[in-house]
Amino acid sequence: MSMEASPASGATKQHAVTLPWSLLVAGSIVGIWIVLALFAPLVAPFDPTAVDIANALKGPSAAHWFGTDQVGRDVLSRVIHGARIDLLMCLAGVLPPLLIGTTVGLLSGYYGGTVDTLLMRLYDLTAAFPFFVLVLAIVGVLGPGLINFFIALAVVGWVTYARLVRAEVMAIRDSEYVQAAQCLGYSDRVVLLRHVLPNAFGPVVAYAVSDAVLVMLAGASFGFLGMGAQPPLAEWGVMISDGSRYIRQAWWICTFPGLAAISLGLGLAFLGDGLGQLRRGQVSA
Amino acid sequence: MNGPLAPLTTADRPLLDIADVSVTFGNTRVLKHVSFQIMPGEIVGIAGESGSGKSTICRAAMGLLPSTADVTGDVHFDGQGLLGLGEAEWTKLRGRHMAMIFQNPASHLDPLRKVGRQIAQPMIRHLALSRSEALGRAVKLLDDVGIRESAMRAKSYPHELSGGMKQRVMIAAAISCAPRLLIADEPTTALDVTVQAKILELLKELNRQRGLAIALISHDLGVLADVCSRIIVMRHGEIVEQGEAGQIIEAPRHPYTRLLVDSQPGKRQFKTGWKQVEDQTPLLQIEDLRVVFPAKRDLIDIVRNRKPAPFAALDGVSLAVATGETVGIVGESGSGKSTLARSIIRQNRPAAGTVKLDGRPIEQFAGGDLLAFRRRVQMVFQNPYDSLNPRMTALEAIAEPIWRHGIAGRREALRQASKLLDMVELPTALGERKPRQLSGGQCQRVGIARALALQPQVLIADEITSALDVTTQAQILELLARLRRERALTLVYISHDLSVVSSFCQRVYVFRSGRIVEQGGAADVLTNPQETYTRELVASLHRLPGQMVERESIEG
Repeated sequence: MSMEASPASGATKQHAVTLPWSLLVAGSIVGIWIVLALFAPLVAPFDPTAVDIANALKGPSAAHWFGTDQVGRDVLSRVIHGARIDLLMCLAGVLPPLLIGTTVGLLSGYYGGTVDTLLMRLYDLTAAFPFFVLVLAIVGVLGPGLINFFIALAVVGWVTYARLVRAEVMAIRDSEYVQAAQCLGYSDRVVLLRHVLPNAFGPVVAYAVSDAVLVMLAGASFGFLGMGAQPPLAEWGVMISDGSRYIRQAWWICTFPGLAAISLGLGLAFLGDGLGQLRRGQVSA
Repeated sequence: MNGPLAPLTTADRPLLDIADVSVTFGNTRVLKHVSFQIMPGEIVGIAGESGSGKSTICRAAMGLLPSTADVTGDVHFDGQGLLGLGEAEWTKLRGRHMAMIFQNPASHLDPLRKVGRQIAQPMIRHLALSRSEALGRAVKLLDDVGIRESAMRAKSYPHELSGGMKQRVMIAAAISCAPRLLIADEPTTALDVTVQAKILELLKELNRQRGLAIALISHDLGVLADVCSRIIVMRHGEIVEQGEAGQIIEAPRHPYTRLLVDSQPGKRQFKTGWKQVEDQTPLLQIEDLRVVFPAKRDLIDIVRNRKPAPFAALDGVSLAVATGETVGIVGESGSGKSTLARSIIRQNRPAAGTVKLDGRPIEQFAGGDLLAFRRRVQMVFQNPYDSLNPRMTALEAIAEPIWRHGIAGRREALRQASKLLDMVELPTALGERKPRQLSGGQCQRVGIARALALQPQVLIADEITSALDVTTQAQILELLARLRRERALTLVYISHDLSVVSSFCQRVYVFRSGRIVEQGGAADVLTNPQETYTRELVASLHRLPGQMVERESIEG
């Protein structure tokens, strides 16, 4: 018994996993945006939709840090309120494809067979088209608007999640702990939800975060093109689109929402990257 | 087989002189003041379990440690100091004067280049031979390492060769420049036993004919006792004992060496106290079982409408296991023994034949009958780390079957699980740990406890000790022997190791290519094998001297 060198230090070492720096930085950026979005009415100095023509197109000043737009709305307040819409957009754009894709990937990876083959051909078909082109086409058919934009995202996005989960599940399906679970007579539902899914979910979370970047940028782009969020909603893409006509006189109208989109995008991207690193680190530890 | 060989030349100066070497990675000291010497033409064995530092010391001697390693002490090769050599000087030495072969030949051969070229490469580099000259010599070397049709084989890619042939190719490449020292790091661990014996024979011959000094690293004392003249035993980065092979095996001085010798597979006999009861329907009966795996049908096959022949993993296997009996299944990898285990637990569908429990075909079980079957037949798996869900603690994993089968509530199940933990001799505190915080042997104990949670009648053990160190292996076997006695288990014990099986089981079935080639009482099969294949298996066992006598005196 004494010969079984027990990695006693293992228990304590596990807690001392050093967080990648990117994870810390990214976590705080995304965290700040979430706090700002949650408390937007308290934080924002002005009503984001309050029109004040007399103060239109004023540059950054002590009263209006980010200046005012063409109808005198405070850009800072609009950027803060925009965070609500853009973050919600991330959530609404990521969750439905994640849920659909995970379910499909889990079932098709575990059971395999003809259904699996058909689903994977569907994936190939979807992956053959550029993401934006396909989303644009679907929104074009359904008509502009946020809801249709999310529907298009779900239709296009689920396949990536399905593919990701399927690959993980196929490896886990043959592992001995899944065989043991089957041998112990657990139902398929228990084996799938308790033994397969928790171990297949790591990469999905990491991908979902980077997917949120894509969704956010897509949302802003579609807002800019007038196919996503509709004015006067304070959405960063819509704001940039509105402000672009005045870029020569008032650079601040589109610059600040642009910077906001970049910072949130970078934050999410690094967060996804860091989560991935953390997961790999844990696996090799 | 010939006994250990005396050194060919007895020079005064050691070929490799390792003096007081310590290696530190960050804050962890993996080697502590290691000193030993290898004389020209000598075969020295380095024994120890995983993590004992036996590979580290050899990598240090070859200058193959990562730059993060902090090495102190002195290493001299033929009088030349090695520590602190530049990369350019190392490349002149490595491959030319000292060479190394590794455990897994597949990962050390370039899959995209023909093996002849790979053997020729070091000769072109070190001996400045022309390409064609080097290739010619490579073919000769392949001959020397016992590869038939060497000229044709030289044009093969690594994937066209078997594991044993790949290891031969590695050896050919290593000796191509006539080095004086060969470091062999577990060269036969990944190979089947019969192939292992041939590779060791080859190493001995190279030593005899070329005076090649060999440092042979292995966890298997039996192998070392057979091949080496001296043995160094390492543990926790220190040398605990070194000396003549005979002395180490027969009169070990250090308690750890004694433990290692005692833990050798087949060294111990497990008393079973089982008697054959006549005229009894066997508990588990397998009749004419045939399991096939369909060959993959690719697009061209579909277009041409042809069906590739399926692969039969099991082909007409019949065997019977009586209540309370322990039956061993032996065979090399690919012989179908794991497929048999999977068939018994209904993990694959037989193409023909049946598996019967108590006379009832198991494929007919459904619903409640199936659950009852699951409770009666359980399995312990091969890979201790892979057989536990990484997200569940040991206690949760053991308790889960109890409450899922409705034997007890969740809280009561956890209480029973901690009793089971105690039964497999694990401290209660370990129950809170996840698999990655446990050692291989501890994980395997958890796996056994989980399988026993449903109080099964039949336990299938599929290579449950093959991933473990020998001392741990012996402990797990002892545990299993105790549980078998206490719980009156019927055991199907699957292993590639004939010596373990014959010491642990009453009856043995020898498998080869999906068929049973020999069956009989464990002692009979080991001492008096009938089939050529079994004889080969028995001959390839590396028994420690004196072991055979011991066995006979027990059984006689």
